[in-house]
Amino acid sequence: MLYILEDAINGILMGSIYGLAALGLTLIFGVLKVINFAHGSLLMVSMYVAYWTITLSGLHPYVALVIVVPIMFVFGYFLQDIVIKPIFKAEKNVREPITVIIVTTGVWYILDNLTLLIFGPQYRTLQDNPLRGKMLEIGEFMLSVPKLWGFGAAVLTTLAVYLFLQKTDTGRAIRATSLDREAASLMGINAYKIYNLAFGIGTATAGVAAVTLVPFNNVFPTVGVLFDIKCFIIVVLGGLGSIGGALLGGIIIGLIESIAPQFMAATWAEAIVYGLFLLVLFVKPAGLFGVKNDW
Amino acid sequence: MKILEKIAVPVVAFSLLIGTALLAQAENVKIGNIEPMSGPSASLGQQGKAAREMAVEEINAAGGIKSLGGMKLELIYADSESKPEKGVAEAERLINTEKVHILSGCWNSAVTYPTTAVAERYGIPFVVPVSVADKITEQGFKTVFRIAAKDSWWTRDQFAFLKDMETEFNSPIKKVAFVYENGDWGTGFATQWKELAKKAGYEVVLDEPYPSTSTDLSPVVQKIKRARPDVLMLVSNAADAILLTNTIAEYNVKLKAIIGSGGGHADPSFLKATGKNATQIFDIVEWETDVNKPGAKEANEKYKAKFGQNFSGEAVDAYLAMYVIKDALERSASLEPAKIIEALRATDLSSGPGMIVGYDKVAFDQTGQNKHAALVIVQVNDVGKGLERITVWPKTARRAGYTPVFPMDVK
Repeated sequence: MLYILEDAINGILMGSIYGLAALGLTLIFGVLKVINFAHGSLLMVSMYVAYWTITLSGLHPYVALVIVVPIMFVFGYFLQDIVIKPIFKAEKNVREPITVIIVTTGVWYILDNLTLLIFGPQYRTLQDNPLRGKMLEIGEFMLSVPKLWGFGAAVLTTLAVYLFLQKTDTGRAIRATSLDREAASLMGINAYKIYNLAFGIGTATAGVAAVTLVPFNNVFPTVGVLFDIKCFIIVVLGGLGSIGGALLGGIIIGLIESIAPQFMAATWAEAIVYGLFLLVLFVKPAGLFGVKNDW
Repeated sequence: MKILEKIAVPVVAFSLLIGTALLAQAENVKIGNIEPMSGPSASLGQQGKAAREMAVEEINAAGGIKSLGGMKLELIYADSESKPEKGVAEAERLINTEKVHILSGCWNSAVTYPTTAVAERYGIPFVVPVSVADKITEQGFKTVFRIAAKDSWWTRDQFAFLKDMETEFNSPIKKVAFVYENGDWGTGFATQWKELAKKAGYEVVLDEPYPSTSTDLSPVVQKIKRARPDVLMLVSNAADAILLTNTIAEYNVKLKAIIGSGGGHADPSFLKATGKNATQIFDIVEWETDVNKPGAKEANEKYKAKFGQNFSGEAVDAYLAMYVIKDALERSASLEPAKIIEALRATDLSSGPGMIVGYDKVAFDQTGQNKHAALVIVQVNDVGKGLERITVWPKTARRAGYTPVFPMDVK
């Protein structure tokens, strides 16, 4: 019984970090109505930025947020502004701009390969930092300290994004655009600017996720791919565009990944995750916490 | 211009004629090498080429094949691009057009397998330095000779090593755990492990395939911890090897030994990314630069100076292959394929410049497999120069002055 509790807590901690990683994806989808295939790569770039910031400055990983988050916001903002916006404009009369999806796939490949070129295929982990390898031990009970920090970061970031969207004018403008682009434009909202902003915020949350991940995970050029698939599943599970759904979806995946292997081979645990994903698509296509929407 | 042409054409033609006549006179032993010179395995093909060149240069400089009047070895290369059909076509061309006496290659098992069949059809000896698929020497062919240990011997040697450790340190092993990536490679190893564990009388307390793409391996590590094995055996790719090693250290799992199977544990970035968490882990490899064999260090220095990198297991096998061929030619004293094959079959090589491998002898069994081939087991440890891989097994190849740490005593 104690084992299960230990596994469940680990699952919730790890799952919240998955949810945080998926937050940007769901936000960008909610506003732009585009599946951003480059999301994993943005997470990967964030991990490199976080890794180098922490390694070169010797700061506590979470102090590095001050540097990583603004960098990633600017990166996302201009990636949308320079690379993706022109395609949007070219396809502005199309309801579902498929070409944009293809462009994000291109961005994914370019980012992954650029990183490979610049940093090589090496696997990197943070050495000697205050969080690395720290465990909270209560008798037989062991919890990873960097994951606890990650859990805190995930909950706070999700809350912050939610409040930002609910309470601020800019947040309202983003929600208005996501509900109806045409109507929002008529009200004087510059939709493209909102897109830039949403993309910037989405990428910045990937920056937060990266900071939570680097103290205990590897950094390498294709690390984004591992999280990519997980993020898609989480976002669909939680409901496309739902902010809180991302966190909850992440925690569900984390719990399955952590508890199921104790009863079967870890390979089967993965199969259960995908099985659940399909089941949700069949039964509740809008996701567990999503609203039915005209997407 | 006209005049120039009138002079030039006959002059060129004449010199070409003399040139070919001269070449024809000084016949060499032609060794056809099919290697992946381009494509995904190109770097391995290049290593094989470099090692062969170094060996042949040495052999020729030392007077070539004495029993054939100082005849020189000549290397001819063909690119397989790692494609089986390309390997087969190149073997045909090397035999029929280039008239090679011996074939060698092809690194990729998938290429070597069908290509050896071509050599068998023509009765041309085929020396395989390093394709490891078991089936290559299990086709009943008479012309195939493999120097490296085959695939199934990796697991055989891991268990032989464990038995030797039990005896040497008088520390019995009872329970083993198998944790491996769930692809072909990992599950293949695990199938053999289970057989071997049964024979060795070990109890298997955990048999866990996991997806290599896992982003969190703490659930698997928890399982290992709760199963309380003496020895943990792993097959991992790079990212998961690092993640497992670090997580095992974090959860403070107590084990007598952790044994990797190359792959991720041998990845150049593994030691850097795990740091001291990798201390005292064992890993199995084809070869390590510190093997305690006469000439190994010097040969590696020379190779490094020439080609800018350390000998790899593949390169060492290719290097040795040239010396095995030389040894056979000395005894066959003939270029007739049947005679060379006969000489290869009678090979009993235990010394000389090529013998820098971890095992002590090259001699082929009925199938053409070098029956003395074995892998090398290393232990990661810090003996004053930072973490490094130190050869510990076979005992004859163990680094001088190093005693393996068994059971592990790191926190």
